[in-house]
Amino acid sequence: MEDFLWFKDITKDFGATRAVDNVSLTVRRGEIFSLLGPSGCGKTTLLRMLAGFEAPDTGRIILENQDITDLPPNLRRVNTIFQNYALFPHMTVRENIAFGLKVAKKPKAIIAAEVDRMLAMIQMQDHADKRPAQISGGQKQRVAIARALVLKPNVLLLDEPLAALDRKLRQKMLLELSLIHDEVGITFIYVTHDQGEAMSISDRIAVMNNGRIEQIGTPAEIYEAPKSSFVAAFIGDTNFFDGRITEVLDPEYCRISVPDLPDMLCFNDKKLAKGDLVHLSIRPEKFQISLDPPHAGVKYNVLRGVVEDIIYQGDHTRYWVNVGEDWRISISRQHTRFMLDEKPINWHDTVFISWFADDGFMLERYSEKDEELLPTPPQTVGESDAPLEDESDEQDTEAENRP
Amino acid sequence: MLKKSRIPGILTWLTLLFFYFPIVLLVINSFNVTRTGGSWGGFTLRWYRDLFGAREIWNALRNTLVVAFTATGASTIIGTTAAIALHRYKGRLQNAHYGLIYTPLVVPEILLGISLLLFFVALKIELGLATVTIAHITFCTSYVTMAVLSRLQDFDLTILEAARDLGANTWTTTWKVLIPVISPGIIAGALLAFTLSLDDFVISFFVAGPGSTTLPIHIYSMIRRGSMPLINALSTILLAITFLAILAYQMINKKRTGQ
Amino acid sequence: MNSNKRRLWGEWLLTAPSFIWLTLFFLLPTLIIFAISFKPSDPLGGVGPGWTLRTLLSLRNPNYPEIIWRTAVLSITTTVVCIALAIPIAYYIARCKAWKRDLVLFLTIIPFWTSFLIRIFAWKGVLHPDGLLKQALVFCNLISPDTLLLYRPGTVLLVMIYTELPFAILPLYAAAEKFDFSLIEAAMDLGAGRLRAFCSVFIPGISSGLLSACLMVLIPSIGSYVVPDVVGGIGSEMIGNVIAQKTFVDRNLPAASAMAALMTLSMLIPLLFFLRGNKGKNQEPKPAREVV
Repeated sequence: MEDFLWFKDITKDFGATRAVDNVSLTVRRGEIFSLLGPSGCGKTTLLRMLAGFEAPDTGRIILENQDITDLPPNLRRVNTIFQNYALFPHMTVRENIAFGLKVAKKPKAIIAAEVDRMLAMIQMQDHADKRPAQISGGQKQRVAIARALVLKPNVLLLDEPLAALDRKLRQKMLLELSLIHDEVGITFIYVTHDQGEAMSISDRIAVMNNGRIEQIGTPAEIYEAPKSSFVAAFIGDTNFFDGRITEVLDPEYCRISVPDLPDMLCFNDKKLAKGDLVHLSIRPEKFQISLDPPHAGVKYNVLRGVVEDIIYQGDHTRYWVNVGEDWRISISRQHTRFMLDEKPINWHDTVFISWFADDGFMLERYSEKDEELLPTPPQTVGESDAPLEDESDEQDTEAENRP
Repeated sequence: MLKKSRIPGILTWLTLLFFYFPIVLLVINSFNVTRTGGSWGGFTLRWYRDLFGAREIWNALRNTLVVAFTATGASTIIGTTAAIALHRYKGRLQNAHYGLIYTPLVVPEILLGISLLLFFVALKIELGLATVTIAHITFCTSYVTMAVLSRLQDFDLTILEAARDLGANTWTTTWKVLIPVISPGIIAGALLAFTLSLDDFVISFFVAGPGSTTLPIHIYSMIRRGSMPLINALSTILLAITFLAILAYQMINKKRTGQ
Repeated sequence: MNSNKRRLWGEWLLTAPSFIWLTLFFLLPTLIIFAISFKPSDPLGGVGPGWTLRTLLSLRNPNYPEIIWRTAVLSITTTVVCIALAIPIAYYIARCKAWKRDLVLFLTIIPFWTSFLIRIFAWKGVLHPDGLLKQALVFCNLISPDTLLLYRPGTVLLVMIYTELPFAILPLYAAAEKFDFSLIEAAMDLGAGRLRAFCSVFIPGISSGLLSACLMVLIPSIGSYVVPDVVGGIGSEMIGNVIAQKTFVDRNLPAASAMAALMTLSMLIPLLFFLRGNKGKNQEPKPAREVV
């Protein structure tokens, strides 16, 4: 896939707040590219600059070799799906879809044919003459998509398109969106604060925080190899340990001492030296938990702890285990086997937890701000306290509570 | 479930009785042969006949309608642009603008009347239908602006961005999307302006000159002169019109929201 | 930069008509009230040349303190009575069944839109010496045949309440409609009595409407002129009547202007008081007409 959309050194201030801070990124033709981050991280601002509703203070936006930075929105071949769909309430579904073509003064016959084609694609032929107030949320969503796609844009922008839908419908629409993407093949830029949505639909994701891009990569890269503690904490849950390297073992591994805990063996991907301070992140699902001591291999770490809290969630159970004075570890255990056959782990049981040395990854030290993103029982991932960039970002924090 | 208190209900219906007792009495008396209305002297349509024969009333009605239509038209345009400006832009200019729009709504009519009268006298402008119309446009503008503004605030105006996004320029966006969407507010504002202009007495009384008597001014002079049965008849007609207008407006509204 | 310029131009284009119109025909005339208070009158009913303090000194008329006091008492009483009646009414309308609510609202809106001259005049018919009410009261031996019902301060108060009450009900209803009535149940669940729940949950809950209602009744009441003029007599004049008398009878515009300036200033007291009370809510009391 070739690159065809560039943001170059984009900065935007709102009053004293820097909404977007020197962002550069490249989008490839035909991919679904997500901008993911907590509210106020600048993702919506970036999208609105691409659509033409905001002008960057500095920097350029280039689409297919054309500098579109100063082009008004109506002259850009970029269309948007708004969070609340923004369907025209005084027009029928058909008139809504035809609007852009009418404005472009296309011949009547072509408009009719194109609109019919779109109605067929979104399977709304039977509702063509209804008004937006008479159709459901999911249907509105599809009309909004059709209204934008009928203009054959170079890029389709989706601003939290599923935030206004309930959870079940969100899953369905997510699938539908990716089917539509396969069908039309144009580039989607998808803004969301919901990491689950971003992970499941995107080819690549840019994780944003405080107006800057923290990391760009495929969903797997971002989850498995986060470049910063912010990314590690924002995408999924994680456990952080602060420590110091006490010993570098053969080229690959090192030993880390963490206050109050036994030394830990860890894969030394950053090639750090003895004495360096590190910040170790281990995902909850990487741990094994058992009542009996595990048959651990050489590259395993084992800790003993007391179960503090248990939340049963059907497909998995979340345990909070106290190890040492100040350390509470979050562990998630998938129920791959029939659970009731096993001897259950109960509150206040002493348990063993173990993990493979390669499953931890080292990061730079996290800032105070990131502290809020750490998991705390009962499993909420707090939002960043960055200033709000707009209301659309505020909705649906509960969507982030996923293991 | 706790039983609801009956006091608010009783109070409400007693108040409605209080509202309608004088009005109903007035309507009945308009068909009463007896002049002062203390007792029932028999049914008559005489007062209505006299009313239709009174030339000044038709003149006053004509003046009232001329003023009302002009003031409604002008204030609807001025008020709508004002509301759009207030909604679209923020800043010091719009704060001052809002102050100018809002204050006339909380100033007693008599102050608006006397101040305009002094203004016209100071500028040596002759009092007449024109001054009455100017006065009416002034207070109607504020009401229209508020009606349109509340409609604008109720609406998710991302649709304006959506229209721009779909290729419409500012002009098309305004006429094809903004105006149709806020048209109920504009219509409500215009109706409000029309009714206020028809009803206004105090302000008109101050700025009217010879030959620019409006219907409310005429009614006032009839009240002063004491030709009670004629006013009863006129009031009944006006009441009927008000009643029908509100009924029609509510029906239309209900039909629209019911869909 | 170009787009910024265009934006500014657009703002001016949309703002200018109303801004200029209201500056010319509202702001300037209001300021003129104060200017003309320093002008002498001229015998032809116009404004004389030069400047003088005599006009302002004419406010020291020995009758005025009484008139000002009466205006204050009547308008405050009207406001208090209207609000006291309107709160339970708004509560009732907001809580009753849909069809009943529509009916009561409809019946409240009609007097609201009826010309207030007609509504005042209707009382003249009721209170007329030969009118029905008088006869009924005499028949019940409540008053003697030579008692006058019209032309008394009490009559003025009654009719003022009558004309202003819809202006109190509608903003309060608009606020009550948005009120979450499960809060009252919650308060009673927590042990509050019915009256206690009403006073400490419902009334604070509609405070924004309360504020509009107060303002919408108080300010026109201070400015009343037609009510005392039609149903009041000597001894029930208010400030508005003085302004009208100076304008239409004495043809002394500067004196009328001085009185109007006094009224404007007295209006500022409740207005500032309310705006202070409303600070932080970021919402002005809405004119009643607009609520409907």
